[in-house]
Amino acid sequence: MARARKLERKPVFAVAVTAVFFAWLYLPILAVALFSFNDKKSLSSFGGFSVRWYDDLFHNDALLDSLAASLKIATAATLGSLVLGTMLALGLERVTSRRGRVIGAVTLLPLVTPEIVTGVAALLLFTGIGLKLSMTTVILAEITFSIAYVTVIVRGRLAGIAGEVEEAARDLGCTPFQAVRLVTLPTLVPALIGAGLLVFALVFDDFVLAFFTTGVDPQPLPVRVYSSIRFGVSPAINAIGTLMLVASALLIIAALWVPRLFHRGSSSLDLITGGDRR
Amino acid sequence: MSTPQDPAPSVSLRGLTKDFAGATVVDHLDLDIASGEFFSLLGPSGCGKTTTLRMIAGFSDPTSGTILVGGEDVTCVPPHKRDVNTVFQSYALFEHLDVRGNVGFGLRRKGLDRRALDQRVSEMLELVELGDRAKEKPGRLSGGQRQRVALARALINEPKVLLLDEPLAALDLKLRHAMQAELKAIQREVGITFLFVTHDQDEALSMSDRVAIMHNGVIEQCGAPEDVYERPTSVFAAGFIGTSNLMSGTWSAGCVCVADDLSIPVPGHRDSAEGDTVSLTVRPEKIWLSDLTPQMFRVTGTIVATSYHGATTQYVVSIAPDLTLTVLEQNLPQMRSDDRWHSGDRVEVGWLPEHTVVLR
Repeated sequence: MARARKLERKPVFAVAVTAVFFAWLYLPILAVALFSFNDKKSLSSFGGFSVRWYDDLFHNDALLDSLAASLKIATAATLGSLVLGTMLALGLERVTSRRGRVIGAVTLLPLVTPEIVTGVAALLLFTGIGLKLSMTTVILAEITFSIAYVTVIVRGRLAGIAGEVEEAARDLGCTPFQAVRLVTLPTLVPALIGAGLLVFALVFDDFVLAFFTTGVDPQPLPVRVYSSIRFGVSPAINAIGTLMLVASALLIIAALWVPRLFHRGSSSLDLITGGDRR
Repeated sequence: MSTPQDPAPSVSLRGLTKDFAGATVVDHLDLDIASGEFFSLLGPSGCGKTTTLRMIAGFSDPTSGTILVGGEDVTCVPPHKRDVNTVFQSYALFEHLDVRGNVGFGLRRKGLDRRALDQRVSEMLELVELGDRAKEKPGRLSGGQRQRVALARALINEPKVLLLDEPLAALDLKLRHAMQAELKAIQREVGITFLFVTHDQDEALSMSDRVAIMHNGVIEQCGAPEDVYERPTSVFAAGFIGTSNLMSGTWSAGCVCVADDLSIPVPGHRDSAEGDTVSLTVRPEKIWLSDLTPQMFRVTGTIVATSYHGATTQYVVSIAPDLTLTVLEQNLPQMRSDDRWHSGDRVEVGWLPEHTVVLR
């Protein structure tokens, strides 16, 4: 009996660790959100509720330009890496040779390469070939960096689809190209949404690559925030942080709910969270 | 729905050969499958049966030989242009489409108009009893239901031949038996030629019009289920289907000498010369332990093992040093447990001479 009772005891320690973990993770973020509504300029004492920093933000053209630049960069990098990464995944899935498997492994290298190396390499490449640093160079660098993430996620999903599915499509009258278009790609949609969200989030707030490859104007948001901090922190940065937080929360909710609206059994986020697998 | 007998066979294979990395997986296969026939390719894994199926479907190119479907040479025709459909072992359903979308997929590729398509899909769903699941995604279906969707998706195209690659292997035993009967009934109803690949002998015997036993890329024996079971022609065929009492010995004066002092007469066998080595077999259920009749060949032996299987009891009887027979006896209603034999009992066993089958 004593032993059974011991097993049924509440896992106090695990609950405590989890609580500390969440506090550690989210209290600073909550502080940012709270102080974005601070009436005072202070980052340590709260002087009453106000939206003056939001007002400030919406009149700060430089910051707004940077926000727009970062959204453009993230969108372009997401689309570019989705196309290239999916093509790469589809291609790698079809090679069985030893050389093909080596190439498959090499595509994963950007995941483990220190970003600063990728950044310096991109910078050297762009200046070496005489490409003027601009938003285009940031996008090119970010696409290069993101392809690996897309490929990993899409290949994971492809491995879960029976190899016979494409054959079934061909058996039912599809040319090889139609089989990919009508069956493989639609089956991959949840994976593509998941990969797209991940890449968008990674690129949107990526600092290192953006810092090395950006031109003068408009700077991507993380670079702008970093350089403005050197001249003293404006609570407008708290405001922009809070807006980004809300936007990403909305994105996650959308990612959870949109597949449900289409009566999909599983959500695209399951690919990231590991969700309920069949 | 049955059509008049097509004079051309549904499928003809002529010298079909497939080499993989130097090994011959399918070796000069010649086979004709009649229109409307339920034909099974039966064999152990690696015997070449699935490779044969994949070559007929067009997913694998033959090294040499010809494939004719409905009398037309399709050896070099890509899969999407062959009048052949496949039920895959993994079902390979399209997870992004509902049941209706899956079943209608082939006809939509053929450009059938929407109304005719809906009509045909509804009919097909009725046939496989899935009318009420039409709007479900495959992920929400049970294994048996997924299997039916795969079947309906292929059958709706009314192919010249339907290829089935171990379609029941993923189902549990009870469901598998139910699906066997159902599959057979559906085949009778639609009248389409079925080429069924399996390693399960029960499945092949109970469903097929004809069975071909495949081994090492060649067909060992081909015939009606009763033929391949009752009259196996090769040692492999005898051993692969059911339990066999394989014996071999020297041919001498109408008898096979399987052990010292033990010769088994084979009346009517004339193909062997004096001194040839001859293999033969007797099915365990053909051997009697009691009620022996004078026409039977008889031999005495000792029971060395017994095992109770519910409907039957299996005995292993030693009739000579290094020679045992497996005997299967029905547990009849009038028998009590003390009527059964026990290890160590001396018994006389016998069987009718026509049940001795000579193998090549």
